[in-house]
Amino acid sequence: MQLIDGSKIITEACVRAGADVYVGYPITPSNWFYAYAQKRFPLFLAGPDEISVLQWMAGFSAAGRLPVTATSFPGLALMVESLNMAHMMELPMLIIVTQRLGPSTGSATTGAQGDLLLLRGAISGGYQIPVFCPSSFEDCWNLAYEAVKTAVNYRTPVVLLTSKEMVMTYRSFDLSGLPEIKKVENAEPEVALPYQSYRAGADGVPPFIPLGDESYQVRLNASTHGRAGLIQKESPEAMANTRRLQDKLEGNISEFTFFELDEEDGAGQLIVSYGISADAARDALAGLRRQGKKVSLLIIKTLLPVPPAILSILERYEKQVFVEENLPGLLRELIYGQARRAHIRSVNKIGSMIAPSEIIKEFAV
Amino acid sequence: MTQPILVTKDMPFCPGCGHGVAVKNLAKALEEAGFRPLDVIIVSDIGCAGLVDPILATHTIHGLHGRAPALALGVSLGLSNPGKKVVAIQGDGGATIGLQHLLEAARRNVDMVLIVLNNLLYGMTGGQMSGLSTQAFKAEKHVDDDTPPFDIVRLAHEAGAAGSARISAPGEFKAYFQEALATPGFSLIEVACLCPSHGVKKLKELAEVIPGDLKLSRQRPPARASYRDTGPLFEKGGPLPAPYSSCIRERLGIVIAGSAGGGVQSVARLVANAGIRSGLHATMKGEYPITVGTGFSLAEVILSRNRIHYTGLEAPDVIVAVTEDGMAKARSRVKPNTALVLDSALRDAAFPDALYGNFHKEAGKQGAALAAAASWLIREGLLEREALLEAARGHQHGEALMEVIEKAAGMVRGLPV
Repeated sequence: MQLIDGSKIITEACVRAGADVYVGYPITPSNWFYAYAQKRFPLFLAGPDEISVLQWMAGFSAAGRLPVTATSFPGLALMVESLNMAHMMELPMLIIVTQRLGPSTGSATTGAQGDLLLLRGAISGGYQIPVFCPSSFEDCWNLAYEAVKTAVNYRTPVVLLTSKEMVMTYRSFDLSGLPEIKKVENAEPEVALPYQSYRAGADGVPPFIPLGDESYQVRLNASTHGRAGLIQKESPEAMANTRRLQDKLEGNISEFTFFELDEEDGAGQLIVSYGISADAARDALAGLRRQGKKVSLLIIKTLLPVPPAILSILERYEKQVFVEENLPGLLRELIYGQARRAHIRSVNKIGSMIAPSEIIKEFAV
Repeated sequence: MTQPILVTKDMPFCPGCGHGVAVKNLAKALEEAGFRPLDVIIVSDIGCAGLVDPILATHTIHGLHGRAPALALGVSLGLSNPGKKVVAIQGDGGATIGLQHLLEAARRNVDMVLIVLNNLLYGMTGGQMSGLSTQAFKAEKHVDDDTPPFDIVRLAHEAGAAGSARISAPGEFKAYFQEALATPGFSLIEVACLCPSHGVKKLKELAEVIPGDLKLSRQRPPARASYRDTGPLFEKGGPLPAPYSSCIRERLGIVIAGSAGGGVQSVARLVANAGIRSGLHATMKGEYPITVGTGFSLAEVILSRNRIHYTGLEAPDVIVAVTEDGMAKARSRVKPNTALVLDSALRDAAFPDALYGNFHKEAGKQGAALAAAASWLIREGLLEREALLEAARGHQHGEALMEVIEKAAGMVRGLPV
C-alpha cells in the first residue's frame, strides 16, 4: 500500500494509454492534474484560457496527437462551443472535469456533483459525448484508459467526470493490483477510395486520417457537412452524417458500458449512485445489510449516453434511492425527468459529502 | 509538374469581392514556392473568409468563429513538421472575436501564416462594424462610433511575430504571401478587401478609409514542440513493508487544525504514512481557503483496519488544534466523545477534559502541529514513534520533522491515560 491521490493515478493511466499532449489552464480543484501532467506528458502546454485550450487540443488531435486537459465548471463553460466543434469534427480527446460547488464560481475547494446535465445538454441538438465517472481508485486507473480507448475507437471527445474528493484525497492503495495498460493504437485504417474524412464503415466510425497525410486529402469540418468534409446545408447526405454522430455512440454503447452492481437476492430496493457519493453508498449498503435489510447497490460509471443495460437493471427495482451531491438530483432527472414518482427517491446535499448515515436514514421506514 | 492548389476558377464569393483576389494569389504563391497540395493545411474561420475549403486541393479544417489561429496553433505544433505549411484564413470579425488567439500564436511565434481578409465589416450577418473597422469607414457609413480600430499588424509585432504586414494593392499580394510562407515562425498578413455587398466597392475608395500599408519583422526562432520521454509518476510496486504495530482496533478519525505555513497538510500525510507502515488503511484530505498562504489549514486523517470507502468524518475521534484560526474552524466539529489536544495558548473553559501542551513554545510555529499530533498518538499507543520517524525519513524536511517527533513524547500534559 502507498498513499496516493486520484489525480496522479488518472494522469499516469492517460499517458500509458497513449495520450501525449496535455494542454492546461490552472483551475482548482483540477490543478493537481496540471502539476502531474507537467512532469509526465510528452508535451505540456499552458493555454491562455479554456477556449484556447480546447482549440489547441482540437488542432493537436486533428494532427494525430491524443490531447488531454482537466478543468472545472467555469472552464468547462468556456469550452462548450469548442466541445461542439470537436464532436462535429469527430476528434479524439479527453477532458477531465473535476466538479466543484456552484453555481458560478461557487467554492473552488468544495466538491460537488453538479455538472451532469450540463454535459447532457452541452451539444446543440442533444447529441451526446461519452461521459465516464470513476467511483474508486481502481476506476481512476481503468476508466482513464477506457476513456482514451473510447476517444480513439469512436473518434470522439470523451469526458471523465470526477469531483474534488476523488482527485484531491489521498488514500492508501495497493497499486500492484492494477492491470497493465497497453497503449491504445489507432488501428491502421481500412480506407475505401477515394478517402473521405467522414465516410464511415459498418460501425458508424469513419477511419481517422490526420491532417498533413501524404496520400489522402483530409477535410475536417465543424459546420454541417457531407462525407467529404465540405459544408452542405440540409442535404440528405449531410443529415445522414449528422444522424450518424448519435448512432455511432448509441450503436456501440455496449463496448463502453461500465457499472458496478451489488445485487442481493430478493431485494426490492436499490441504491443508485456515482462518483464521489458511491463510497458513502457502499458503506450505507453494508450498514443496511447489517440491519437485515434487503438492498442492492448500482454504481453507474458510464453516465452518458445512458446505457440500456443500466435501464434494464433499474426496471427490476420498485424502490430506488438516488444518492448524489447536488440539490435537484441530476442523475435522477437524467433518467426519470422532472415528473414525481413515489418510489423514486433522492438523497441530496451540497457543501459536504453525503454521509452513509444520511442514506441509511432514507431506509428507516 | 506542380500540382494545382486551386481546383476551380469559380470563386464562392460575391462578384467583385476582394477575398477571391487574395485566395487566388495565395494559391499561386504556394504553387510557385513548390508546395504540393498535401503539404498545406488550410485552417478556415467562420464568415466569408471561411468559404475557401472547397476550392482548394489542400488539407482543410473549418472551425469556429475567430478560433482559426488557435486551431492552427494546435495543428502546427501537433504536426511539428517544417515540411508542412499551416495557413489560417479569417476575416476582420474573426480577428476581433479571436484577438487573444492571434496574439498568443504571435507571442509563441508558432510556425504558421495567418491571413486576415479585412473588408472592414461583418459581411455574412449584414455589414455590421468590427473591431478593425476604421473611423473613416464608419463615418462614411454614417455609423455613430469613432472608436479607433485595432492595429493587428502592430499588435502581432509587439506580441512577437516573426513577420506582420498590411497590404492593399492586389498586385503585391503574391509577393507578400511568398515572403510569409518562407518565414519560419508566425507571419500575419492583413489584406484590405473590397466588399461589393456591404462595404467599399472600389479600390480607389478603399485607399481612403484604410490605414496605410505597413511591414514589420523581427528575428526570432519559431516555436517547436519537443515531445519528451518521461518516466512514470509512480511504480506499480507491491505493498510497502508494515513492520510497526498499532492498537487501533477499527477506525480512528483525526482532525489536525492549524494555520497556513504550519505544515498541517504535511503532518497529516506523515500520520497517514505512519499508519500504512503499521498495517492500517489510511486516507488524508485537506481543507483550506483558496488563498493558501493565509488563514486556517485543516486536515483529516482516517486510519482503519479495513478498507475505507467514505472518506468523510462525521464524528472525529480527536481534534488536534494548535492555532486560533485552526480551532475556530474545527470547533463546530467537536462531538461529545471527541478528544481534544490543544496548544496551551488555546486554553478554553468550555473544554475541561482537553489535553494541553506547549507545542508552539517547544516545537516552534512549523513544528507545533506535528509535535501535538505525534505526542498524542504515541502516548495513546495508536502509532509507534518509530513508525512516525520512518514516515518522516523520506520527506524533504525529514531531519527537522524527525527532531520534532523525537522530542514530542511527553509534550502532552493532562490526566494520565
